[in-house]
Amino acid sequence: MSTSLRIGLLLASLGVFGVIIASVIKKKLNIRYSIVWLLWALLSLVMAVFPETFYAISDFLGIQLPVNTVFLIMTALLYALTFYVYIMISKHNEEIIKLTYEVATLKKELDELKQKKNEE
Amino acid sequence: MKTLIVIPAFNEQESIANLTKEITEYGYDYLIINDCSTDNTPRILDENHFNHLDLPVNLGLAGVTRAGFMYAHDNNYECVICIDGDGQHPPVFMSSLIQEVENGYDYVVGSRFVDKKKPFSMRMIGSRLLCLLIKLKTGKTVTDPTSGMRALGRKVIEKFDESMNFYAEPDAMCYLLHNGFSVKEVQVDMKERETGVSYFANPFKSVYYMLCEILSIVFIQ
Repeated sequence: MSTSLRIGLLLASLGVFGVIIASVIKKKLNIRYSIVWLLWALLSLVMAVFPETFYAISDFLGIQLPVNTVFLIMTALLYALTFYVYIMISKHNEEIIKLTYEVATLKKELDELKQKKNEE
Repeated sequence: MKTLIVIPAFNEQESIANLTKEITEYGYDYLIINDCSTDNTPRILDENHFNHLDLPVNLGLAGVTRAGFMYAHDNNYECVICIDGDGQHPPVFMSSLIQEVENGYDYVVGSRFVDKKKPFSMRMIGSRLLCLLIKLKTGKTVTDPTSGMRALGRKVIEKFDESMNFYAEPDAMCYLLHNGFSVKEVQVDMKERETGVSYFANPFKSVYYMLCEILSIVFIQ
């Protein structure tokens, strides 16, 4: 990995750290979800500071350019994260259906009560 | 048998009043579920004091029928019949569906092709493919897997009420056949859609629907 790539990774990970922490403080991001992003930034930091780890992994996997190992790991992590988001969407979808049903039922009961009251 | 007719309605201002009046004549309980219609449907429902739910957000057909099953479950109905709000399913055939549920079937489907031959349109080729897949998976023969007119007994209501993956009719039917529920098809006639636009008018949606169904039948249900 070239020095400029390492510097780039270092700056990017520091930038990501800053944005995540700021988002949590400004109450834009739930702190539970920030953890995974912080770990992500930490990984880029490790890559920038200790590229030897990635040389070792590249050798082991038979990848000639260590930068491709960086791409590979990042892509795999993105897949994992996106999949997690899809699971969350499915869960929220279920919750929305249940809540919608509850709201609609309550509204129906309220309308019926109001009508009864008007008739009296 | 305590029966509820569930009628999903999305922009059905032309048909919903007549359909509901027809159903009331048969004396069954019914529930219209208005899925955020943008036309006059909500006004018609309110003015006629039809028994209905107004959903605050648009859930789509699968979510709407789920809401219907939840309502049936909460109110202890023993049988639910799903009927389209556009008047495609004539209420005349409801009694024969209920009859079969009373005879002990868990799931009764109103099929267009029990006694009649299936035509060769694009849509029916899709239907044949689904029949074949269900036959291969469960060993049982079905004639109209995409029919939306169906009656559910109590066991099936509970099942469908709690699970997120009974989106469409064919794979739900496949699941029931594969898991030992008793399923019966009854001959019904359906009318051509008189108003509104079919979901399958869009070819991409048709392909997407078929892919979902095939995957679901082959790998999941």
